[in-house]
Amino acid sequence: MGRLGAAISTAIAIGIGLLTLIGLLAGDNVPLVNDIADFLLQLVVITTAITVLIGVVNLFSVHARRVGRRDTGWGYSLLVIVATLLVIVLVLLERAGALGGRPSTILFETVQISIESALAGLVLFALVYGAYRLTRRRLTWPTVLFVVVLLLLLLGALPLAGLGPLVSIRDWLMAVPVSAGARGILLGIALGTVVTGVRVLVGQDRSYRE
Amino acid sequence: MSAEQIGLWAGFIFTLMIFSYLLGDNILYRLAVYVFVGLAAGYVTVVTIESVLLPWLRGTVFAPEANLGQRLLGLVPIILGLLLLLKSSPRLGRLGNLAIAFLVGVGTAVALVGAVAGTLLPLAAATGSGVRVDVLNGFLAFLGVASTLVYFHYLARRKPDGGTTRGLVVRVISAVGQGFIVITLGALYAGAILTSLTIFSERVGFILARITGG
Repeated sequence: MGRLGAAISTAIAIGIGLLTLIGLLAGDNVPLVNDIADFLLQLVVITTAITVLIGVVNLFSVHARRVGRRDTGWGYSLLVIVATLLVIVLVLLERAGALGGRPSTILFETVQISIESALAGLVLFALVYGAYRLTRRRLTWPTVLFVVVLLLLLLGALPLAGLGPLVSIRDWLMAVPVSAGARGILLGIALGTVVTGVRVLVGQDRSYRE
Repeated sequence: MSAEQIGLWAGFIFTLMIFSYLLGDNILYRLAVYVFVGLAAGYVTVVTIESVLLPWLRGTVFAPEANLGQRLLGLVPIILGLLLLLKSSPRLGRLGNLAIAFLVGVGTAVALVGAVAGTLLPLAAATGSGVRVDVLNGFLAFLGVASTLVYFHYLARRKPDGGTTRGLVVRVISAVGQGFIVITLGALYAGAILTSLTIFSERVGFILARITGG
């Protein structure tokens, strides 16, 4: 399984990649190749779903081991296991018709979303503190420009009367320089993707064999 | 008390537990985060099985009218998943490379088509056509896009002492590009602050509504 395996891996990556590429580019003009590309994409989606499940099983087993060995913080691990099982058991009971209503949906909408929102709200303090720390460091022209743009956009978002000029500046910033910078970054990423993709398809990049 | 009411009170308590982090890392915050991880793992499992795996298996392996070939094709992703699982084994890990190669092949093709058809062509066309609509702003946008790309261009001439140097023109254009990137990152940062501020005020409103019974 040494060099032969590596050669097979390369052949699979290049062959499947080219087949999918041709299928996606050809579209409905070549139905057979397009159908094959669609099927390959479905296989990838299902395989990815299986890897997600493997990840959950791994998380579960790691925490179960911590509980079993009574490691430091094993109580937290027990909480993870109980919460995971709670959702799965609730859904199973719902599907079996043993529970009225949709308790799993209620649990999601009230508890899960509440915790998610609270965590997202906490980010506010980290961001503001980060901006404050930035101004405390040695000032360079990019730092000053960053802070000025940040303040302009934040002040421009205030729902106050008399901020007309500020709102105009904010709108212009968003429409021209921000849009241009974002396009440049996205084009750079796309060019990098194309270069890397071509390298994989011509067999120059074979990091998947390691 | 209905299930919704119990859920809302639980959400209220968990929100306070998360916000207790503002006083420093503490047991209440950690309890809430671990519950969050457990619930998220449970929902991911349920959605993955119910929305992805079961429909696939019902349409291929367990389909009443499916022939042997279709059933075998239905098993392919499960075999690929098992091969990926072998990556953790020192002896059989190389078998997992076959599944990785398959994922990389399809992923590369999708990324290539997405990058060209979804990003390169539309953005290049939009930047070019912007000059026709508004000359000054269109030119500024073109300058921003071009100089940003030059900023990410890392080729340089090697000097005899081993160091590297870039031409004056490239340095000036890349400085302009750096300015556009900084403005963009500043705008993204401002957007993130405004988004988190909105979410935070919604949470504070939720807490007050629970306390006042609104």
